[in-house]
Amino acid sequence: MESTKFSLLTKEEVDRKWWEIGDFFRRNSLWMLMYCTGCCAIELPPAMTSAYDMERLGMGPMATPRQADVLLVTGYLSLKTLRRLIYTYEQMSEPKYVVGIGSCTINGGIYHDSHAVINQLDQYIPVDVYVAGCMPNTEAVMNGFVDLMRLIKSKKANGWKKYHKNNEWYKKNQIDSLGEVRVKDEFHD
Amino acid sequence: MRELKLFLGPQHPGMHGNASIHMFVEGDIIKRAFLLPGMLHRGFEKGMERHTWVNNISLIPRVCVVEPDINEMAFAMGVETLANITVPERAHWIRMIVLELARISIHLMAYGGLGSPTGNYTMMYHAHADRNSILNIFEKITGHRVYHQYIVPGGVRKDLPVGIEKDINDFLDDLESRYVEYRDIGIENPTIVPRIKDTIVLPSEVVWELGVTGIGMRSAVNKAYDLRKVMPYARYDQVEFEVPVASYSDARSRVDLKLQELVQSISIIRQCLAKMPEGDVRVPLSRGQSMRWTVPKGHVYSCVESSRGEFGYYMVSNGGTHPYRVGVRGASYPQGLLGIEKYLPGTRIDDAALWVDTMGVCSPEIDR
Amino acid sequence: MNSMTNIKYVSSLVENRFKVIKKEIVSEYQISFEVDKDEVHRLLTLLKLEGWIQLSYLSAIDWINDNEYELVYIVMNWEKPVHVQIRTRISRENPSMDSILPIFPGCKYYEREVHEFFGVKFPGNPEYAKQLILEGWDDIPPLRKDFDPRAYSDAHFAKREYTETFVNLNNEKSKQVKREKRKERIIRVRKGGKK
Repeated sequence: MESTKFSLLTKEEVDRKWWEIGDFFRRNSLWMLMYCTGCCAIELPPAMTSAYDMERLGMGPMATPRQADVLLVTGYLSLKTLRRLIYTYEQMSEPKYVVGIGSCTINGGIYHDSHAVINQLDQYIPVDVYVAGCMPNTEAVMNGFVDLMRLIKSKKANGWKKYHKNNEWYKKNQIDSLGEVRVKDEFHD
Repeated sequence: MRELKLFLGPQHPGMHGNASIHMFVEGDIIKRAFLLPGMLHRGFEKGMERHTWVNNISLIPRVCVVEPDINEMAFAMGVETLANITVPERAHWIRMIVLELARISIHLMAYGGLGSPTGNYTMMYHAHADRNSILNIFEKITGHRVYHQYIVPGGVRKDLPVGIEKDINDFLDDLESRYVEYRDIGIENPTIVPRIKDTIVLPSEVVWELGVTGIGMRSAVNKAYDLRKVMPYARYDQVEFEVPVASYSDARSRVDLKLQELVQSISIIRQCLAKMPEGDVRVPLSRGQSMRWTVPKGHVYSCVESSRGEFGYYMVSNGGTHPYRVGVRGASYPQGLLGIEKYLPGTRIDDAALWVDTMGVCSPEIDR
Repeated sequence: MNSMTNIKYVSSLVENRFKVIKKEIVSEYQISFEVDKDEVHRLLTLLKLEGWIQLSYLSAIDWINDNEYELVYIVMNWEKPVHVQIRTRISRENPSMDSILPIFPGCKYYEREVHEFFGVKFPGNPEYAKQLILEGWDDIPPLRKDFDPRAYSDAHFAKREYTETFVNLNNEKSKQVKREKRKERIIRVRKGGKK
């Protein structure tokens, strides 16, 4: 017997309802990828362990990119890291969220004129939440995660959709700055 | 057996910091390995040439992330030698308190970090919680948890706040009362000892070939080669402390030395709080604008004892407002690059993370 | 303290056997010698035999006005605690210096780094030309004085744009002249001139 309630809804509406249910579970159990790209990662151990206890927000560290939901970009990104970061970001399964911690991800911060550090992260991968500060307190980092949950609830954390939609633009920026995204060294050949 | 290529890092929970060990393995045994540094390269040495001597105070703590105070100390000592500044007596003692608190904090972090490759998370949670109390004390003293910018050329930025002695003493008493417990959950724990004993041995005859300093060296050569003892800076010649040494350097003995140093640091801080005189904490660098303050010509290499060994700044001034060249000798340069290349082959894959943790390889100071 | 006797010891040790261009006692634990390029290896060997067994640091300085690089070797003796700086000048055109790898094996990565950041060649070190820290670098070595990181950064990395408005409260000509003079003075002092 076919359900009368659901037969009245169109396919889009059913999809939307399933996404809402999914988002509810997703935002209450976020797995963040353990990739310390820069110095703001030093405030993560206090956040993860007993002092601030991130698990009360339902967050935990995850070792592999394929099982993780949140990519933390903790601070400055040198060109060498950016290559690995793009690899990592593209390996993560969707939906995926990016949190940029520290002022270096926003405008280059204290390294704004360095020859090795990029200035603006959202030119290369889409960013959902920024946490400002050099370095931000643990409370600020935790607040950023709460903001991310709120954004997921209100369906505004859709950076991964932007990455699909504007893929060519992102790829062009990556190649402009990096030359080539593929890692080439004696180990990889 | 076929030779395989394997990464350890940069995205790996057992790797401390953003660096990668590239390994060629046969089965479980590493045949060849090398570190791939540079993931944290920010162009520091170039950046410091582009800032004034005073501006650089805000830049230097960021060279080594986990232990920022030694950077400030080495930089301040170098500038004071070049410009011939005499630091007020009280500032020396405050500097020692801050440096030793930082040493406790990094030893705790390394001890907790050992928990993650060995799978003993109790260690990790205890150590990080205690480290957080130190960060809170730092926040009261300096205004920031991690990057303090507190030790500046000419003294320290501000005097200690009122009542901080009680906070420090409370913390030290608490840590000391749980010292035995710390040893029991970690290096005396029968589930961990077989994992860290007799692994990653550093033979004493090769220490000089590598240039390893700090705990890595002292645990192998059985001599008290500590810069605080042999060329005392600040007022380390007026406090009593011992330098723990050992003659057999495996992972366990190195961690053991770290815990013994922790006790010595506690005793140093207590002596500092007792002996500290009253008075000024900072001499003004210049009468006019500090941004146009110039430093006389000269070359100086100033070094301090960090938790990983000799940490030094090589500074050249041409008499201008900007440093002409600043070079950083990262303390973990020898053990991080040459040590991994020479001494990881022959060990198992899972011991690579133990080398990184117990020898103290700090990737930001290798890359700069 | 017997630290000054250590300084005297190393000073007489070096000065009796080598032609020292310039000697400088930096502090009670540190002394620096400037020697000729050809004498560095013999001097380092002598110091190593006398107990300066640890190579603490190796780097270069770019003296662009003299058209020279200055190489710095710092060695350390733990029994007689003195840091010895040995400095030597090499030409900036096609810079090259024989490796000290047979004397101090720990110099391997320092020399690679100096090659990467200054372009100094180290024949004798088999791997000196390999890239260590940078990846795919396409410009002149970045620690040279004629390299401008701001220009490189502007050309390669997108900047966040901010709207900035400046208002000159007083537009009189005398004020403008004062501003110009101040700018000139700042630049002069930066280059090491007088205030």
